[in-house]
Amino acid sequence: MSLLKLAKQSLVFYWRTNLGVLLSIIVSTSVLTGALVIGDSVRYTLAKLTDDRLGPAKFALFPKGRFFSSNLSNNLEKELGTKAAPVLQLNGMISNDNGSKRVSSIEVLGVDDKFYDFSQGENPFIKDSADTIVLNKPLAARLNTKVGEDIVLRIEKPSAMSRDVPLTPDSDLSIAFRLRVAAIADEADFGRFSLQANQVWPLNAFVPMQWLQKKIDRIDEANIILISDNKNIITIDQVNKAVKKIWRLADAELELNQYDLKGVFEIRSRRVFIDDVLSQAALNADANSVGILTYFVNEIRLRDKFTPYSFVSAIQPSAVENGIIPDDMKDDEIIINQWLADDIGANVGDSIELKYYVQMPMRKLEEKSAGFKVRIILPIQGVAIDSELMPDFPGLADAENCRDWEPGIEIDLDKIRDKDEKYWDDYKGTPKAFVTLSAGQKIWANRYGNITGVRYPIDNLSESDIAQKILKKVEPASVGLFFMPVRELGGRAGGGTDDFGQLFLGLSMFLIIASLILTGLVFVFGVESRSEQIGMLMAVGLPQKLIKRLLMAEGAILAILGAAIGTLAAVLYTKAIIFGLATIWKSIAGGSEILYHAKQSTMLAGAMAAVIFSMIAVWITLRKSLKRPARELLAGALRWQYFKTNKVSKSRIGLLIAAVSALGAMLIVSFTGAGDSKAVSGAFFGAGALLLISGLSLSYALLKMVAGRWNRAVSSLVGLGLRNSTRRSGRSLAVIGLLACGIFLVIAIGVFRQNPDADAHRRDSGTGGFALYGESTIGLLYDLNTESGRKSLRLNESDFKAVDVVQLRVHDGDDASCLNLNQAQMPRILGVQPQLLNQRGAFGVRQIIQKAVKNDAWLLLEQNISENVVPAIGDYATVFWALGKSVGDEIDYVDEKGSKIRLFIVGILNSSILQGSLLISENEFIKRFPSDEGYRTFLIDAPRETSDEFSNNVMSRLRDYGFELIPASQRLEQFMVVENTYLSIFQLLGGLGMILGSIGLGLVVLRNVLERRGELAMLQAVGYNKTTLKKMIFHEHGGLMLYGLLCGIIAALVAVAPALRTTSANVPYLTIAAIGINAVLWIWIAASFALSGRLMDALRNE
Amino acid sequence: MLELVHVTKSFESPVETGSVCVLKDITLKVENGKSLVIVGPSGSGKSTLLNIIGALDKPSGGQVILDGKNLAELNEDELAKIRNEKIGFVFQLHHLLPQCTVLENVLIPTLADKKMFPKKETQQRAIELLEHVGLKDFLQYRPGELSGGQRQRVAVARALINKPRLLLADEPTGSLDKDSSLNVADMLVELNRSEQVTLIVVTHSLELAKRVGEIMELNGGVLTNGKMQ
Repeated sequence: MSLLKLAKQSLVFYWRTNLGVLLSIIVSTSVLTGALVIGDSVRYTLAKLTDDRLGPAKFALFPKGRFFSSNLSNNLEKELGTKAAPVLQLNGMISNDNGSKRVSSIEVLGVDDKFYDFSQGENPFIKDSADTIVLNKPLAARLNTKVGEDIVLRIEKPSAMSRDVPLTPDSDLSIAFRLRVAAIADEADFGRFSLQANQVWPLNAFVPMQWLQKKIDRIDEANIILISDNKNIITIDQVNKAVKKIWRLADAELELNQYDLKGVFEIRSRRVFIDDVLSQAALNADANSVGILTYFVNEIRLRDKFTPYSFVSAIQPSAVENGIIPDDMKDDEIIINQWLADDIGANVGDSIELKYYVQMPMRKLEEKSAGFKVRIILPIQGVAIDSELMPDFPGLADAENCRDWEPGIEIDLDKIRDKDEKYWDDYKGTPKAFVTLSAGQKIWANRYGNITGVRYPIDNLSESDIAQKILKKVEPASVGLFFMPVRELGGRAGGGTDDFGQLFLGLSMFLIIASLILTGLVFVFGVESRSEQIGMLMAVGLPQKLIKRLLMAEGAILAILGAAIGTLAAVLYTKAIIFGLATIWKSIAGGSEILYHAKQSTMLAGAMAAVIFSMIAVWITLRKSLKRPARELLAGALRWQYFKTNKVSKSRIGLLIAAVSALGAMLIVSFTGAGDSKAVSGAFFGAGALLLISGLSLSYALLKMVAGRWNRAVSSLVGLGLRNSTRRSGRSLAVIGLLACGIFLVIAIGVFRQNPDADAHRRDSGTGGFALYGESTIGLLYDLNTESGRKSLRLNESDFKAVDVVQLRVHDGDDASCLNLNQAQMPRILGVQPQLLNQRGAFGVRQIIQKAVKNDAWLLLEQNISENVVPAIGDYATVFWALGKSVGDEIDYVDEKGSKIRLFIVGILNSSILQGSLLISENEFIKRFPSDEGYRTFLIDAPRETSDEFSNNVMSRLRDYGFELIPASQRLEQFMVVENTYLSIFQLLGGLGMILGSIGLGLVVLRNVLERRGELAMLQAVGYNKTTLKKMIFHEHGGLMLYGLLCGIIAALVAVAPALRTTSANVPYLTIAAIGINAVLWIWIAASFALSGRLMDALRNE
Repeated sequence: MLELVHVTKSFESPVETGSVCVLKDITLKVENGKSLVIVGPSGSGKSTLLNIIGALDKPSGGQVILDGKNLAELNEDELAKIRNEKIGFVFQLHHLLPQCTVLENVLIPTLADKKMFPKKETQQRAIELLEHVGLKDFLQYRPGELSGGQRQRVAVARALINKPRLLLADEPTGSLDKDSSLNVADMLVELNRSEQVTLIVVTHSLELAKRVGEIMELNGGVLTNGKMQ
């Protein structure tokens, strides 16, 4: 005989009770482990998706808005001894053959053999690459197109010079092609390729890289390089060092030309203005280097005579022979050529005026002028004839004659005279005037650079010397050429979803607690039924701790067995939840499939946690039962629960807690006042929770009081029932607690369901009061609020009556919204003019950094904190949930030039249509991401009654930009659907918890009645019939049920009062009724079962 | 030797202020190997007195000294050890574990301290005791398969398994028919002699009392020499 053997025998003997305990443990284990396994599954799915979207790529280089030689990829491959693949990626739009299906914001990927060799797939373009395209699966599905059918692809045509510079033409933004679908790409065909971590399929269209390069005039250029590392030996530092070692000027979009006639080499950029970091290095490459800034001026005027549209070069003064600008030339002096002098009648010493445009935001131009004194008039010969001083301004450089000019600015062709045409014919863009470089930079410098060329005397250096000197001085990262460890970031993004498992655990918490309470309840029933046994064990000298150990051993065996079975059941439970996530809750996973995956360690952890929690439940219930002395136990004290009268102090404690909690709730409500802010809602929720505590404490006190010194005689069946309910105050309290907490949660959560249409017109709502939300594939360059901007975009003026637009710049990054299961590592950034949102009071502010004024939250974005710290604002879901940050935290980020910056969260908005992105000021945006052209996100104030018409007209006009508008409330709904779905899951699991609670209630009734069968038989003997007995039992337990429900309902209604007042939320009456009916049903079933058979037998057995 | 010195026991009254005194100044000395019967009407405090003697309850006043140890000075674990090693209990209801066999039920007290009772030795003793109480052929039976008298005999064997110095029996025949009652009574007397165990029986059965030995009467909380009526 041993304790373990005794425990085993007891388990078998009391199998009915133990089965109940076992089932409860199985439920808690499967729910607990299931929640953890769901976390595992999501992590596994995201890890697999990382493999699918990156293939073998470990590092990727993807400078935004910049191109490099595709040969860089080959050279890296050799340098690193691993596989590399160049890709040319552009934004695009696509439609099916007849235009009935159209998809914006797709990724157009120019790929070659390397890409498929890299991914170990078959190149679908080998057989037929002429005008063919490969669509990935979801894109083909969206277009409803098949292999062999035609589609129309429109791609963004990148400009050499940023389109934000007004000189850049705004025509020819995109080009369209009719192509035949050659194949549909699946995961195995690298169809899921994407550098952004998201479980949702990207929309990819693959075309042959050479074809794409040709179409956009970017021969041998790419803008993405993927690098694999199968041996896992290459570090990110090694890759970036390799870039530094092998890069060429072309990779920085620089070209070095030799002009023999002038005896110089010249560095210039395809981007026209040379990045500061490059120009600085170029200038420092040789002591005799000369910086040049050539600008297009509107006119050069002397009194009433002027020459229109000319180039003027600002050149560094130099002592070198043939230098145009003498060493001693002053910044207010100008050198003009003879042609100009003749044209405007200028002489040395005359003051002439240059009129030129300077760039304002949104391609707005402001004409300014500057005066200069003529120092020299150069004859048109020698150095004065130098058309190469004109950089390759798009729309100008390649024009045959002046009338073919197509710069981005408006040209008055009437001003162009025949002599101007002749000058162009004879001298092309040869500047007509020259000023010092410093003078030119003062008036023409812009954020893209302040140099258009650097020249070196041929005699001093060789081409390669210059190139090496420049490349040595410049970090490739400073021009966007830096690799990112995309696989590591992907792993981190997918691994950051511990929260999903924890979230599910949180959602399941009530169900787990309910099953644990049930575990304890059923277990204690078993212990109580063995009261005399326990007493006997004590009497024969078994120490209390040994008996406790014995019963704990029984509990442990049950817990282990239950956990083992529960773990198996967790597999089914998890699969059911995953099925739910794929069907009724699909919005959570963005419609993506979650793959079942359970780690052994997780299963073990879940099972162990369940064992521990079950043991705690058993321990808590045993603790009280074994405190009784042996003589009481021998007298059946646990079973019979004899009344004691010394309960007054306990009831006083209960009353005290109830009174303090109720007072606290009243104080909160009276001091908080009305409103709908989160703070008010939070306060009311706190008050409700306090009321719940008050109600439960009061019930505890009442039970103790009635059980104690309650001197009123029982005068009715209800009274008898009430008196009976106090016999097992612990059980009664458990029932009240379960029902009250359950109903509290169900109501509270039900009311928190969000309605996007509620308060959508309010500025402080999630829509910001905007009627429409828009996005475009190609950035809009103009201000939609100005007539000129609308005219430039060919929009109907009449559509914009009473319409106001807030335009935002976009730097693409990870979607940091609740639609993305990955944890965003590099979130999308929006650039906004803070004052536009501030003056509107747009979007409810949840929290801001200390000492700031909430009404001016947006202005916090304009704070200048330090060079590398950028103030940012995001909404709650983005900052708190997706990024795991809060106000005052910082997020590491890398700007376009590879500089590490920190986004400092200065404020958090309430849930809004801006979810998924962080907002920074437009000024900071332009500084950090200058290559992100135009505006791609739009918040539009439009009269609601005409917003549909407005949307249709504007979308139609801006179709080639991939411009799409949706009602702001619809955008908000897309996010709210996710939150509401979480609430649904919570309610469902909470509902299951309520069912367990009801089962607990049924068990309590059954137990109470079964152990009092003798007593009930006595009542029958003295004349009660079964119906009367049933009524008595019903009053007893119905009272508990009613009290529990009332307790929960009242507390919940207080908690959600602000929500009920300000939104369209409703009290879930049906759910409450269902819970009530369910509880009544269980009471009735249990009472009927217990009273079945011959009650009088119980009397005889006594 | 068992000695009770001015033992009193009071309970709080649920209806009156103050307390109800159940045992009043009881002084008693019982030599080793003696047998004693305490009789008295229901509610006279017999079971309370037996619980106090058996270290299941503590007196409100006075001392209970068992083999020179004042039980009031011992903590719960020490009392459990005393109960386990020196005292055997027989209750009115047998309180056998239905899930265990007869033999296992007898061995239950030995689980308290395995070191003191090597398995083979105790098992052999349990068998001998069961043989002694006439249940040698029922070792593997379950309590549910025995008659009331047999169950009580198992309970007696269980009480003696640890060779106690003191055997306490609270209405040991209260739930038995007449034949079984006499049988159990004879057995207790016989064990008192053969096992050299001090026997204290609480009963209101005069027949049992006559068979056991010296009789004392508890009435109104006062213990006096019994007068058989």
